Amino acid sequence: MAKQIDLLQGTLDMLILKAVSLGPLHGYGILLRIQQISKDRLEIQQGSLYPALYRLEHQGWIISEWGESENKRKARYYRLTAAGKRRFQAEAEKWNRMAGVIAGILGTKPEEV
Amino acid sequence: MDVELRFHIEAFAEDLVRGGVPLQEAMRRARIEFGGIDRAKEECREARGMTFLESVVQDFRYSLRMLRKKPAFTAAAVVTVALGVGANTAMFSIVNAVLLRPLPFPEPDRLVRIAFNEPGLGLRDVPFSVPELEDLRNRAGVFKDVSTIASASENLTGAGHPERLEFMVTHPNYFSMLGATPQIGRLFGPQDFALGFAPVAVISDGLWRRSYGADPNVIGRSVRLDNDPYTIVGVLPPGFRHPGPTISGNVEVFQTAGFSADPAPPPARGTRFMPAAIGRLKPGISLEQAQTRLTAMAIQIRQDYATDFPAQARWTIEIQPLQEALVGNVRPMLLVLSGAVILIVFIVSLNIANLLLARASGRQQEMAVRSALGATRSRLARQMLTESILLSFMGGLAGIATAVCTLSFILRFVPPNIPRLSEVRIDGAVLVFALLISLLTGLLFGLAPAIHSTRAAMSSAIREGSRGSGYSTKTSRLRDVLIVSELAFAVVLMVGAGLLLRTLRDLLQENPGFNPTQVVAANLSLPEPNDPKADPYLSVAQETSFDRELLRRMSAIPGIELAAITSDLPTTNLSVNGAQAIDALAIEDRPVESSLDLRAERIRISPDYFKVMQAPLLRGRFFTEGDGDGKQPVVIIDETTARKYWPTRDPLGQRVRFGADPTQPWITVVGIVKDIKSDGLDIDGIPHIYVPIYQSPNRDLSIVLRTSLPAKVLEPQIRHEIQSIDPGLPTFDVSSMNDVVDRSLASRRFSAELVVGFAAVALLLASIGIYGLLAYMVGQRSREIGLRMVLGAPRAVILKLVLRKGVVLASAGTAAGVVFSACATSMMASLLYGVRPHDPAVFLVVPLILLVVALLASYVPAWRATKVDPIVALRDG
Repeated sequence: MAKQIDLLQGTLDMLILKAVSLGPLHGYGILLRIQQISKDRLEIQQGSLYPALYRLEHQGWIISEWGESENKRKARYYRLTAAGKRRFQAEAEKWNRMAGVIAGILGTKPEEV
Repeated sequence: MDVELRFHIEAFAEDLVRGGVPLQEAMRRARIEFGGIDRAKEECREARGMTFLESVVQDFRYSLRMLRKKPAFTAAAVVTVALGVGANTAMFSIVNAVLLRPLPFPEPDRLVRIAFNEPGLGLRDVPFSVPELEDLRNRAGVFKDVSTIASASENLTGAGHPERLEFMVTHPNYFSMLGATPQIGRLFGPQDFALGFAPVAVISDGLWRRSYGADPNVIGRSVRLDNDPYTIVGVLPPGFRHPGPTISGNVEVFQTAGFSADPAPPPARGTRFMPAAIGRLKPGISLEQAQTRLTAMAIQIRQDYATDFPAQARWTIEIQPLQEALVGNVRPMLLVLSGAVILIVFIVSLNIANLLLARASGRQQEMAVRSALGATRSRLARQMLTESILLSFMGGLAGIATAVCTLSFILRFVPPNIPRLSEVRIDGAVLVFALLISLLTGLLFGLAPAIHSTRAAMSSAIREGSRGSGYSTKTSRLRDVLIVSELAFAVVLMVGAGLLLRTLRDLLQENPGFNPTQVVAANLSLPEPNDPKADPYLSVAQETSFDRELLRRMSAIPGIELAAITSDLPTTNLSVNGAQAIDALAIEDRPVESSLDLRAERIRISPDYFKVMQAPLLRGRFFTEGDGDGKQPVVIIDETTARKYWPTRDPLGQRVRFGADPTQPWITVVGIVKDIKSDGLDIDGIPHIYVPIYQSPNRDLSIVLRTSLPAKVLEPQIRHEIQSIDPGLPTFDVSSMNDVVDRSLASRRFSAELVVGFAAVALLLASIGIYGLLAYMVGQRSREIGLRMVLGAPRAVILKLVLRKGVVLASAGTAAGVVFSACATSMMASLLYGVRPHDPAVFLVVPLILLVVALLASYVPAWRATKVDPIVALRDG
């Protein structure tokens, strides 16, 4: 497994939103999916997942409801709200822009300064 | 949350198991990996944030905890709020029922009271005649209906034992006009119209239950009212009250009459004998419009019948909303009392605000810590306010509960001349008011400390172990002012109470001119039937023979030393009929300038009256049996009469005459007695002239008996003797003369007791306030006190330190209070008797009492201060 990259709080939120946008999941499922999408290069600290989920729910980006898991046990499922979708797109755009800017800075050759 | 997290851990463990890890190991690793469920839960909770409702609930629970930690403070605060809210609830229930709630009839704002005035002569409410009633009904075009009302007292016989009760004569449409419905039977209707009295009667629910045991077969029964026969046709519902002033409290019987035949005089315009009328306005017409039309009609009538309406009288008609007429004259007193009660709430809030300010300064550290941990100022203030409101609601509920339980008890003390007292109850409006007052109290005393202490929290840093040598001077200054104002209020109330009490005492000690001890009084009234054939006491001879027989039987009762009868019992200023018998007087050899100048009250007595009352004879002689009907007419006058009308001459042998009729014989003055307070202990200066009852008999009689036996023991015998002479005569109000005199002071006693109650409450609150303030001061300064003790200060110095503060506050409050009282009591002068508004004794004693109480209240904290263990204080301070 690749080295753990320390995540900022904002990025964790974005990743959760992305994971949930692909379909409703329970907390453990979100964890697995992020791992899966990142091709096992990213592993989330388990303790920070749930506080993030509750915060996102309080802010209204995701919404939860009780459901049945694959092995017939009770679990809470989260899915994206319409506002959450908009928020995710906005954040993703911001992130890409920021990434572009930083890449540009990092790629500056000494002559261009 | 638990379920969710547990699911996560189990799912993780499952995956591990699938990877080949044994179950136990898998669970262990899962848990470690997850890292502490409780911490996770807490972080989750924090992340989630709190909704407004949740924070309010948290405030609530925190406040409850804080209040429980200091039970003494909580109890004191709750009790004081309960006092304030309870008193206000009771007061408002009375104000609501009497002043605010509309009369319990359909469309009560259409009902008016009609009065005839003669402003040119300065007279109001003059009687009117039958043609004027007709004018109101037919000519004015303003009323849907009009009814005369005339009330008086009469004897009821034929239902159990005879009773004396109040009755009212109305027009047949009185009940339909008011919109009243019967409980059983029927009420008057157009079929009951009669030129004289209709032979039907409607009785009240109270009479029905009392004398007929709520028998449903009472309809059709016959009763005799003042010996005239009537048939009962209906019973009124329990809540019905005549919407107007009454003689004794409740009208028990209603009769109807046309006033155009016996016993009424023939209906001519100049014959004015009807006392009052009420009416219902037509729909759609306003009060002002109606008044305008009536005034115009009055002018027209004056012109049409100029001989019956002399021009200078300016006779006119006035209407007034019925509710206003009923309650208008008690409104000022009720409003003043409400104001006083709200003042109590003010004092209560001041007190608690003080206590809270004291506590807040002790919680400064707590506030500072909380604000450092991230609480906003509004959050802190909100929490303190929640505490205050919680306190005030607890007190409010206690107050409402007390008011509900004690309302009937309180009402017993209210003087019965306040109308609509029967409608007083605690209903929705009163409860809403009580809750509002609780909320207001909570805000009043909570706001200032909440804002004030959180301001301090923001600016101060956390100082380790710093309770300082005091608290911020601004706080202490504010609190001192609060206490001083409380004390001033208390002084004003105490001075008022003192003056009223002295008045009461002076009145009671005042020599009434007779000796009321060991005298028993009983009352009876001879009937005045409409039908002269039914009148057994028509002639003077019949009446005097009754009087003589009555006296003979009374004297024969064992234990009676002496018996007498009078038409007016002393200290009762209304004869039972309701009219004061002040007659015009004519003196021989003196021209009658104007009939208003020479007047005296005529009192009829039997010969032994003055001996029974032990009133001394100054000159001349008492009446004897020889002063009878047909013999030479004689009178006895009292000192006031002698002084007023014969200041320079000897009144004995002078002759007078009552009324303006010159054919009446002159009457000779044969004796002068000392003044008797006939009309009331506080009424002086009315001239009285006594006439022998055998020469001028009276229907309303009071028997006075000199005896050492108590009234309760004599009552059955007195009744028996009177019934033996005439079984149709009711005996009422049998009591000792001392009780009669006491009762005459009933309303004075009521207001004095009320003010004394207020003053006691104010004094109690003020002393609690001083105690609380000083107790907290000692707590705050315990370090300083410990220091002083260690440095060698004796106990006395510590005592003086605390006491000095108490004395200074008390003196300031007393001084302020005395100044306020001096202004306030000048306004009270009309309520006082024999006491000056600035009576030095009261103004000296009250401040003394206050200072002593304040000193006592200060002593306990001062004493506690001396008990401070210096080691502990220095360590903990």
